[in-house]
Amino acid sequence: MRTGRTLLRLPGGIVLSDHFVLVLTVVYFLLIWSIYPHMAARRNIANLFSNVWPLLALVIGQMFVLIVGGIDLSQTSIMAVTSVLGAMIMAGRFDPAKFEHNPLWGVVFSEQGGLLAGSGWAVPVAIMLMLAVGVGIGFVTGLAVAKLKMPPFMVTLVAMSFFSGLAIYLTRSENIMHLPESFIAVGKGSIGPVPSAMLIVVTLAALAFVILNLSILGRWLYAVGQNIRTACVSGVPTGRVVILAYVFSGFCAGLGSILYSARLEAGRPTLGRNLLLDVIGAAVIGGISLYGGKGRVLAAVYGVLFFVVLDNSLNKMPLEFYSIDIIKGGIILLAALLDALRTRIASRQTVPEGIS
Amino acid sequence: MGNAKRFILAVLLVSVLFTNGGCSRKDTKSDQLTICFAFQDLETEYWVAAHKAITETLKAKNIRVLQRNAHQDANRQLEQVRDAIAQDVDGIIMIPQDGQSAVTIIGEANKAGIPIGVFNRPPADRSNPALVVVADNTAIAEDAVAYMAKAARRLNRKITPLILVGDLGDQNSIERKNGFYNAVNANPDLFKKPIEVPTKWDAVTTLANLEAALQVEPGVDFIFTSSDFLYPQIKAVLEPLGKWKPIGDAGHVILGGLDGDSTAYKLMREGYVDATGVQDLFFEADAIMKALIEAIEKDRTKPDKWIQDPGFALTQENMAERQMDMWGCRILKEAEAGTTK
Repeated sequence: MRTGRTLLRLPGGIVLSDHFVLVLTVVYFLLIWSIYPHMAARRNIANLFSNVWPLLALVIGQMFVLIVGGIDLSQTSIMAVTSVLGAMIMAGRFDPAKFEHNPLWGVVFSEQGGLLAGSGWAVPVAIMLMLAVGVGIGFVTGLAVAKLKMPPFMVTLVAMSFFSGLAIYLTRSENIMHLPESFIAVGKGSIGPVPSAMLIVVTLAALAFVILNLSILGRWLYAVGQNIRTACVSGVPTGRVVILAYVFSGFCAGLGSILYSARLEAGRPTLGRNLLLDVIGAAVIGGISLYGGKGRVLAAVYGVLFFVVLDNSLNKMPLEFYSIDIIKGGIILLAALLDALRTRIASRQTVPEGIS
Repeated sequence: MGNAKRFILAVLLVSVLFTNGGCSRKDTKSDQLTICFAFQDLETEYWVAAHKAITETLKAKNIRVLQRNAHQDANRQLEQVRDAIAQDVDGIIMIPQDGQSAVTIIGEANKAGIPIGVFNRPPADRSNPALVVVADNTAIAEDAVAYMAKAARRLNRKITPLILVGDLGDQNSIERKNGFYNAVNANPDLFKKPIEVPTKWDAVTTLANLEAALQVEPGVDFIFTSSDFLYPQIKAVLEPLGKWKPIGDAGHVILGGLDGDSTAYKLMREGYVDATGVQDLFFEADAIMKALIEAIEKDRTKPDKWIQDPGFALTQENMAERQMDMWGCRILKEAEAGTTK
C-alpha cells in the first residue's frame, strides 16, 4: 500500500528532483530512439559524447563565474586567441601565399612551421601556452570585475570583442593547418577504449567537484554568489574568490580551445564564435542560476547532455533547416519554463517547512 | 485525484514509449536514397539559389534530403556531418565553411565510407578524396577585370583600382584576388598600386572598410568586388560621395564583380556595372548531384574527381547575346514573369 502510494507520487517527485533535467533528457532520448533507431546506434552514441566533452569543459568554467554572480562572455574569444597562438607554435608548415604578409612571418613562424615545429616540446609547450593565456585573460577580467568593480557583462563583452579581433589580426583571418598528429590525438584519439577528450574533461569535472563540494574555496564561491556583502562581513576574501572564478573559467576556455582545435585539426581565429549561446544555455537549462549562488557539476553535465541530445536528435529529422532552429528554440524555452515552474513549486513546498 | 492524474500521465507516457519503440527499433534500410546536404549558411543570393537548385532537384528524383545549416560554424558543420554519417546516409553534399574544415570533414566521410561532394568552395588540399565542383575563379575574375581595364583605358589617365577581398580562408576568394592581379599587372601603364579592402564576406565589415578606404583615397575610380552580394554596400558608400554614376557619365566608377547574381544583372542593365564574372550555378549543382548519385549507384565510397565550371565574364559588350547564361538574369526573368502572370 505504501509502495503503491510512493509509485503514484513518482512523477511529481521526479519533476521536483535535482535530476529532473537528466530524466527529461532520458525520456526525450527514448522517444526519439523509438522513432529513429539510429539514435542509439554505437556510432551515434560515440558522436553524441564526443560533442559533450568540449562543451562540458566550457560550461564547467562558466558555472564557476555564474556561481559568484558574474558571467563570462569572453570564453569564446579566449578559445579563438589560444587556438591560433597554440597553432602558431606547433604547426608543421605555413603556406607563404596566405601568411607571408603576416606581421609575425619570419618571427614566430615561417614556411618551415611554427617556433617549435618538429620538436618534441612543440605540443606540450603549445598546450601549456594555450592554458596559460586562458588563465591570464581570466585573471585580467576577474581583476577588472573584483577590484575595479566593473560590471562583469561589460568587462567580458569588451574582452570578447578585443580578443576575437586580436585572433583575427594575428592570423589575418587565416586558419592554421598542419597541426602535429599528437595534438590532434588529444581531441580525437583514445587511450584504450576511452576517448582522451573524455578523460581530460572527466578529470576537470572531478576537480571542479572537489573545489565546489570539498574545499573552503567552494563554500566561499557560493557565499559570494548568494550575498557578497554578507560574505565580505563574514571574512570571505571576496575579491580573490571572484578573480579565481574568472581564472578557472579562462582555464576551462583554454582547455575547450585545445579540444575543439584538435577535433577541427586547425588553429582557427573564429573558433567558438557561435558557441556562447550553447554554453550559457546549457548552464541555465542544467539549473545553474544566472543570479549567482547556485550551481553544481552535475547540473552542468545534465544541461550539456540535454543540449547535445537535442541537437543530435534534430539532426536525425528530415526537417527544413529553418524549422530545426525554430523547434530547437521552442524546446529550450519549454525546458526553461518547466525548470522555472518546478523551482516555484519546490520553493512553495519548502518554505512552510522551513517556517515551521 | 491529483495522484490519479499523475498515474494516467505516467501510463500514457510509458505506453507511447513502448508501442513506438517496440515496432520500430529495427534498422530497416529503405530503397529510397538519403543524402545529407550540409551547408555553411545562406547569406548570399548565390547560396540561396544553389540551395534551392540542389534540394528541389534531389527531391524531384525521390531522394530524401537531410538539410543541415551550420550557421557559419565549422565545428557545428563537423558535428552535423558526423550525425548524418551515424544515420547511414547514402551520400553527402557539402558547402563547407572554409577550405580547411572541408579537408577534415571529407576525412570523416572517407573513414565512414560515404561518398561526399563539395559544392563550389573547394577543400584547401587534395589529401582526402572527394567530388568537388568549383568555378575557375582566377580565369573568370581575370576576364571580368580585363574588360574593366579596357573600359578604363578609354579615360586616358592613370587609374586607382580597388579590390574588395573576400575571406582569405576561402580558396575562391584567393583565386578571385589572383585573377584581379593578373589583369591589373597585365596593364602596368594603366594602373596605380591597387588598394585592398578586406570584407571577410560580411556586409557590415565591407561598408566600414570601404568607407574608410575612400576617405583615405578619394581618387578611387575602379572597384572590383570579389562577390556580387556586396554591390549594395558599394552603392551606399559611393552615392553620398556623388560617385554612383552610370556608364558614360562623368565621374562613373568602373565597376565589376563575380558571381552573376540578379543584383549584378540589374545593375548591368541599368548601366552602373561594367562587367561581372559569372559562375554557372545550374551547371555546378547539376554536376555535383550527377557525380554523387553515380558514385552511390556504383558503390564508390571515396570518389575523387574535381569538376571545373569554366564560367565566363558578362560584359556590356556581350550582354545582349549571353545574358540568359547568367543565373541571376534567369532567376530575375522567372520572378518577373511570375509577377506579371
